[in-house]
Formats: sequence, structure tokens, C-alpha cells
Amino acid sequence: MSGKRISGASQTSRHWKAGTVFGVVVAFTILIISGLPDSDAAPRRKPVGKKPEPKKEEPLPPRFTVKSQPVNPAKLSSALNSAEQIDKLVEANYSKYKVTPNPMTTDEQFLRRAYLDITGTIPTYRETRYFLASRHPDKRKRLIDRLLDSDGYASHNFNYWADVFRYTDRLNGNVDGSPYRQWIKQCLAENKPWDKMVQEMITAEGLIWENPATGYLQRDSGMPLDNMNNTVRIFLGTRIGCAQCHDHPFDRWKQKEFYEMAAFTFGSSTRANGNDKRFYTSNDPNRRLRKEYEELGQEEKDRRRNQGRFNRMIRVNMMVVNDQNNRKIQLPHDYAYSDAKPKSVVEPKTIFGKPAEIKKGEAPRQAFARWMISKDNPRFALTIANRLWTQTFGRGQIEPVDDMMDSTVAENPELMKFLESEMKRLNFDMKEYLRIIYNTKTYQRQATSEDIPLSKIYHFPGPVLRRMTAEQAWDSFLTLAVVDPEEYREFPSKLESEIIAVNLNTATAQEVLDADQKKRDEIDKNRYKREKKYKYKGQLLARASELPSPVPASHFLRTFGQSDRELISASSDSGSVPQILFMFNGPVTHMMLEKGSTIYNNVIEQKTIKEGVDTIFMTILSRRPDSDESAIAVSEIEKNGPAGYGNVIWSLVNTREFLFIQ
Amino acid sequence: MRDILSKLDGLGRRQFLEYAAKSALGVSVLPMFNNILEAAPSQPKGGKAKRLIYLYMAGAMSHLDTFDLKPGHKNQGETKGIKTNVPGMQISEFLPTLAEVFDKMAVINSMHTETGAHEQGEYIMRTSYKEIASTRHPSMGPWIQKFKGRQNKNLPDTVLISAPARHPNAGFLDPSFSPLPIGDPNRGLENTQSPSYLSENSFEKRIELINKFDKKFQNKFKTKEVLAYTDFYSQATSLLSSDELKAFDLNEEKAEDRDKYGRNSFGQGCMLARRLVENNVRCVEVTFGGWDMHRDIYDDGILPSRTGILDKALGNLLKDLSDRGLLDETIIVLTTEFGRTPVINQNGGRDHHPGAFSAALMGGGIKGGQFYGKSDAGGHSVDADGVLPADLNATVATALGLPVDKEIFSSDGRPFKVAHDGKAISKLF
Repeated sequence: MSGKRISGASQTSRHWKAGTVFGVVVAFTILIISGLPDSDAAPRRKPVGKKPEPKKEEPLPPRFTVKSQPVNPAKLSSALNSAEQIDKLVEANYSKYKVTPNPMTTDEQFLRRAYLDITGTIPTYRETRYFLASRHPDKRKRLIDRLLDSDGYASHNFNYWADVFRYTDRLNGNVDGSPYRQWIKQCLAENKPWDKMVQEMITAEGLIWENPATGYLQRDSGMPLDNMNNTVRIFLGTRIGCAQCHDHPFDRWKQKEFYEMAAFTFGSSTRANGNDKRFYTSNDPNRRLRKEYEELGQEEKDRRRNQGRFNRMIRVNMMVVNDQNNRKIQLPHDYAYSDAKPKSVVEPKTIFGKPAEIKKGEAPRQAFARWMISKDNPRFALTIANRLWTQTFGRGQIEPVDDMMDSTVAENPELMKFLESEMKRLNFDMKEYLRIIYNTKTYQRQATSEDIPLSKIYHFPGPVLRRMTAEQAWDSFLTLAVVDPEEYREFPSKLESEIIAVNLNTATAQEVLDADQKKRDEIDKNRYKREKKYKYKGQLLARASELPSPVPASHFLRTFGQSDRELISASSDSGSVPQILFMFNGPVTHMMLEKGSTIYNNVIEQKTIKEGVDTIFMTILSRRPDSDESAIAVSEIEKNGPAGYGNVIWSLVNTREFLFIQ
Repeated sequence: MRDILSKLDGLGRRQFLEYAAKSALGVSVLPMFNNILEAAPSQPKGGKAKRLIYLYMAGAMSHLDTFDLKPGHKNQGETKGIKTNVPGMQISEFLPTLAEVFDKMAVINSMHTETGAHEQGEYIMRTSYKEIASTRHPSMGPWIQKFKGRQNKNLPDTVLISAPARHPNAGFLDPSFSPLPIGDPNRGLENTQSPSYLSENSFEKRIELINKFDKKFQNKFKTKEVLAYTDFYSQATSLLSSDELKAFDLNEEKAEDRDKYGRNSFGQGCMLARRLVENNVRCVEVTFGGWDMHRDIYDDGILPSRTGILDKALGNLLKDLSDRGLLDETIIVLTTEFGRTPVINQNGGRDHHPGAFSAALMGGGIKGGQFYGKSDAGGHSVDADGVLPADLNATVATALGLPVDKEIFSSDGRPFKVAHDGKAISKLF
């Protein structure tokens, strides 16, 4: 191990909560003697005995944190009931197709998988130790609940949805996405029912900081046809995009049907017109302010420099999602089918299920949203039920999750039907639905050890062996390296919105310019200072869900397959040489081997080499070594001293066992 | 000469078919076989290209504003034409460098495809197949490796620069054929520097330790994906100890040469492609996004910025390869998922348009200085010699000497061809 200290670490004791080594060792001893509690792992116990000297702590920079809604203990028995029914339905197919189910997971395998699937990271050493030592009969159930209640649930699921929604921090040229981003996280944390969340996204009006759900439409600003295409694909699992230009070649959709669907949202604009009396009392504020700007008497140099910023600040404040009910969609001028004339106006009409009734005075998208999220919609509950199943097992009941056709048949139609009905019974409570799935025997079986070709029907003898997602790999590395990887959080969007929100009806040109300046001074210029403490060799050491979106192309996350956010669900889990180089020589690997890292702290607490080796295995692979492995590691360390520890740690993170989820 | 060859070719195939028919059916050749043989087209010659540089314009490049100009037509918008170095041929004024080397370019203005959705369109363009749930089709680099074997000991055969994460990669072919992705060409291949305290010897020991610790897992999970990672580990290990790593390092180039290509990710990507090709990497893809211009297409930051970057990068790539004598054995492809609507929309942009668009081929035995195929007067649909993505890929495969008719079976026993059922365009050779 190199003895280098991490820059910025030494002055911030808070970052490296090592405490005193002695204290922690005593604490462990006491805990072990007094018997370990059940799976309620990792309450951060204060070291007993010597108290560390209180040190001056810098105040934390402003952070956006979510408020998580715990699962309801009263619903557990009902959840277990449903889990049992799922198992029965799965097992029916085992006998029908002569499938031998995989053995049940060991506690080690289950613990690691549950952490990765629910919170997106491997467990810490401490959490592993508690869980494995516990003899509580309900420890798995309790672990599932505890993880669902943690903020990690929102963080991990945000990564999934950011990929689906193509979330970018600049939603379009004029709109900063962070209010939307934080809204998505909070919805997941507070477990807003899926139908409500979707309805808000489809129907939201106003500026993004007034109504962050408008971010969904802002992402597709100026592309109303694409937006409808995305909406149907994401929420209804159906691809009508091909019918945008002509009748769908592989499905039944007609071009006219595409336009009829698009007609629901076509009148929903993402920017306000300056002459729109609903927003602007007098004339176009843009014109008024630009005229005033010329009269500010700035030096020519300043006038030129500020012009772009000034214009942008006005535009930002005009990005109001609003409905223009007189804006009608027309068929293209080259419409080639006989059922309508080119350029004829198309009225909204749904493609399947019941018709959507537009009430008098409401925007058509209101009716569309009601139709879409309704329990009567044949594909809404089905799509989300299948999506969450797929996320959990690595393979869908219906594959892929977003290309259903009339002819689509699920692997196990009775099971799919049951899952869909559960989603409806739970009123689209995603956490509760996942709680059921995690409690199934099917989920708690070992991962399948053979290849499952995409063309083969998979009958779920257990989950599929999956490579960690890019975010899981990054977050797990952080768990090994950084003592408190959750300390850094993204900047609260509210603080920025308060500065840039300008009332265009009353503001003077100077006020617009001042708002821009204030944002630069108070937000942009402080970014470096806010992040500095959390950076190591240029890398911001924070959970993937707190990092920019998209991250730069050369970032660890992108190398491991995180999406560039251009297309829906565009992440990948295939391997490549640069990934290996990251594992070999990347900054986080280096950091992990340095003094002050989590794993370093765990190891130095141990008294013997053998205990050190046990700790290393438990920290990295969430299991103890077998006797062979232990002997190899011990001899390596005896031969090479501290460098031997480094070699063992480095080698273990480079195993396939580390990177794949069993 | 060519006619004789193709006749012989036909004869050989006829004999084969006769033989097959006899042995299979126990009869002499059936009349219907004769018909098929007469109809079989002559094989275009190709096979001159040894390497491929594939430039992908993600988001859909507007054909009317680049290579398929419609001067005088109301659809043309603000783009004007300029003369090229080939008399009588014009391309967009936004591509002045390319105009100077147009004698090296074959532009196809009769591309068309079946979808106006980005993802599906891009998939078809890269693989010749439509995207389906039950398999993943390979992109061109891994196909080359499949037919010709791995070429380099240390360097990979295919490198992707700035590619999307969901690139088709090796598809159903062996995952170890997967290309090596480079996120940012300026940074090249990163994390190649081992810490100073680590000697070569101790590095090898670490690798040994990995294998010992991972034995149980690897014995249990022998899936393709796990095996592929094991292969990437050995590829990474041999690459690290190789001098050829320098091929990835643009700092080895002179600053003024780098300036020529443009100091942006695509410009530097093209330069890196040149370096890699010089080092015998077989296939380099560079992706250049930002072509999805639904709004204000003629604003400075939109079309002119994209075309400007493309023009400098590709223009200099062509000049450099030609100066080095590498252009003849390197085929360059410039393509995109579809075109953009000829009629400018109410937001001053152009929308998705699969009916007609442009692509270009250069080098590798392709005859430059020509337009192939035509769109109609308004740039709306194909007028003559329509070319589908599969046809474009068949042309590229033919230039590379790949057997376009040969069926390769995926692990679940389904047959696939390098360019699906595409037909190579013989007029381009």
C-alpha cells in the first residue's frame, strides 16, 4: 500500500470517520459479546470508551436530500401471501417445462444481491458482518424492508429512470433540469404511486421551478411527435414511432393513428408566446426588455458581452409549458394513404382501449393522461409490472419491456396476469410491488449459471446472472473507498431558481441582468468550492445519482456503459478493455488502496493477518474466504507485508465475482 | 475481363447447384434453377480495402444541406451550393474542404430506409437488420474479424470513438470480438499507467492472484459474458505491456496538425482514426452527434457548426490518408440513420425523413468524384437507384473482400449474413 495521503482528506476529519482505532475495536468486541442484533445492520454506533477529540468541522455545502417513505409493516403479511402466489405460478411452469429450479441463495449471496438490487451498492463490511451473524428467522424480510426504506432506494431507482427518461441536466437549450431531477428522486423516495407520477409528468404546466414535472415535456421541446412516440413506448410498452412517417411495417399501427395520438399533446407548447395574454399583461416582454436594455447606457464592450446572457435569462423565464388549444396537428403534405387527405387536420383519438373523453375547457392531454394511467388501459399497469419484474430478474416476462404487440405472449401468462392485477390492487405502489417480488422464493434462488440465449424462453429457475450496471459498479467502488459516500449531494435546485426567477411583467432590464450576475456569483462561482472537498484526482466522489447527467464520455460510468442520455434505455452492460484498465489503474482503485479508505480502515482494525484477510473478503465480496483462499492471501501478505494487502485487495476487486451479481 | 470473370463465377455456381440438386433430389437440374442462375447478378469486384473508417452522423444529417442540393427549389432553405474540384458537381457551401477533395468521394443521394425513429434507424444502418428482441446483430468491425480472424496481437481489431453505449458491438458473435470504446479521443486510452511502486513482476503476480481467487466463480458461471471478461483481462494485460499503446495517444502528433482536424471531439476522433489505421487497426468508427435539428436549423450553433466540424475533420482525413498512400486500402464511410424533411417546419427546423437521404463512400477502391442515385426534385423520395442501408453495407463488405452471401450461424442456429440481403453497388467500384 502506498502511504500517500489523499489530498483534501487530511484536513477534513468528517470525511474519514476513522475515529480511533482502539475505540472501534472495543466497540466491536462489546457488540460481539453482547450478542448481535438481527438484520438491523449498521446503525453507526459511537465508539465506546475513549471519545475522539471533537474537531472543528466545516459546515456542509447546501445539499438536496430526499425524504423517504418507509414501507408499511402492516402490509407485510399480505405481501408474503402474494409472494407465495407468485412462487406457485412460477413453479407451475417448472413442472410444465421440466425445469429444475436453482438452489436457494446463501445468506452471503442474498445479502449482496439485495443491496445491489435495492440500493445500488454492495453492503459495507459492517453490514455484512451483522447480517451474517444474525440468527433471526425473519432477517431476510427485515433486510428487504430496511433497504426499501433507505435513501439508497431512490438513488438506485433514479439511475434506472434517468436512463429511461433520457434525463439531461440541460433538458434543452434553455431549461436547467435539476428541479425535475430532484422531483423524480423525491417521487421515488416518497413512493408516489406510479400513475400519479406519470399523470403529473404528462399534464404539468408552467415553469420548471414552479412545476418540476414539466421537465418531461421540456426534454422533448420542439419535438411533439417524438414526445408522443416516447410516451407510448415508456409508459405503454408499445412502439408507434415507425408510424410517424408511414404505416408501421411490423405492427398494426397506421400513420393516421400515430397522428391521432400525437393530436393529444400537439397543442402543448414548451414556451410561452410573448403576446400570450394568459402570461403577459402588456405587450411582449421580450421586446420591451430588449429595448430597455439598449437604453441602459452600458459601455459598448459590456453591452455586447451581456447581450447573450440577458437574452438567455429572458428565454429561460419564458419556458412555460402551456396549452394552445387552437394549435391543431395536420397530416404531412405527402400523406400517402387513402383514408385521409394530405394536410388534413387530425382529431385526437386513442390507439387502443377505451376512448379518451375530453371534457369541455380542458386541454386534450388531460384526457390523454387519464386514459393512459387508467386501470382500464390494457397496457399501463402491464408495462410497469413487467418493467419492475425485468429489473429484478434480469429477464422480462415480456421481452423487451417496450415493444409489445397484440400477438405478444408472456413467458407465463397466468403469472403476468397476476403481476398486473397486483400492480392494480396496490394502486401502483412500486415499493410494495417490489417488496413482494423480493420476498419470493424465485427471487431468492441462486442466479442461473448457464447462458440464456435471447431467443430461448426462460422459465425463471432463479434470476439471471447480471453484470453490475455502470452505476452499481461505481457506487460499489465508492463503498470500498470512501467512508461516507453519501455525504456529498447535489445542489438544491430551489436555491438557484430563487435567483433566476424573474417576473417578466414587472422586471426592469437591470433586474434581469442582475439576476444573471447573481446566479454567476452565488452559484456558478462557488461550484468549485462546494465540490473540492469531495474530489480525488479530478473525480467527484459521490453516488452516481448525484453526478452530472450525462457525465463526460471518458468517465468511469460511461466506460462501464452508462447511457449518453440520447436514446431511451440506452445503457449497456457489455465488457471492454477500457473497463479493465479502469479496474487496474483507475483513480478509485488507487484511492481504495490508500490510507483513510474504508477498506483500509477496516483492515487496520484487525489484529491478525488472518482476520485482516477475512475482513478484506467480507468487504469486497461480502463473504468469508474458504480455507484455500485464506491460505493464498495470508501467504501473500506474509511474504510482502503491507504491499501484500494491496495485492490481495486489488486482485479481489478484479475478479468476475466482484463485478457480477450472483 | 470483368464479364468473363462473372460468367465463370456463374458457371461455378451453376455446377455447384446442379450437384446440390442432384444429390438432394436425385434428379438432374430442374428448370427453375436455370432461371435463378440467369437472374443472378454479376458480382462487383472489390476486395481492395483492408481497413474501414466508419463515420456516423448521429441524429440524422440533413441531405438537402450537405450533399443533395436542390438549387432553385423552395425546399432548399438557406443553404447554397459551391463548386467542387470535379467539374459540374456541387455540394453544400458549408463543406468547402470536402469540395476540394470531391474527386475522392462517391456520394449516394438515393439512400432510403424503413424507419424514422433514431434508435431503430441507427441499428439498421449499423447492422443491416431491423432490431428485434430475440437477438443482437453484429456491427461491421466484428464481422470483419469473424471472416478474417483477429489481425493484431496487441491492438484491438475494432475501435469505437465516442460511440453510444448501446452500440450493437459484436452482437451474437463471440463477445471477445467486442470493439474497444474510446470515450474522449483527446484522452485516448486511459488508465494505462501502473502505479510507480508496481514492478512488472508484481503486476504479473497480481494477475495470478485474480485467477486463483476467481477460480470458484469462473468454474460455476461459464457464461459467455463471464468468459468475455476473462478475455478482456488478457487483452488488457497484453496491451499494457505493448509499445503500440502510443497509437492511442494524440499527444504524439504536432499541435498544428491537430489544429487542422479541429480541436473538437469529432476532429480529434478522425485524427485518432488515422493513427489507429496507420497502426493496422482494422476498423475504426467515429460517432458525431447533434444532427437532430428540429429547430432553427440555420442558426450559427446548429447546422453550420456541425457541417463546419465535419468538413474540416473529414477533409483533412482524406488528404492525410491520400498523402500517405493509405487511401486505396482504407474505405471511409460517411453515413447517418435517415434524412431530414425537405420542407422546413414551423420552428425553422427539419424533422425526420427516411424517404431519401445521403451517404458517401471514399477510398478502398471506390471511384471518387461521382454522385450515385437521385432523389426527386424536392429531395423527398428516391427517383433512381435506391440504396438501402443493407445495400450500403454490402458495398462496404464487398470493398473489404468479405463474402456477402456466406451465412454465419448464431449460437441458437439462426443464419445471418454480413449485409443481410443487401446488394453491393457495382457502379461505385
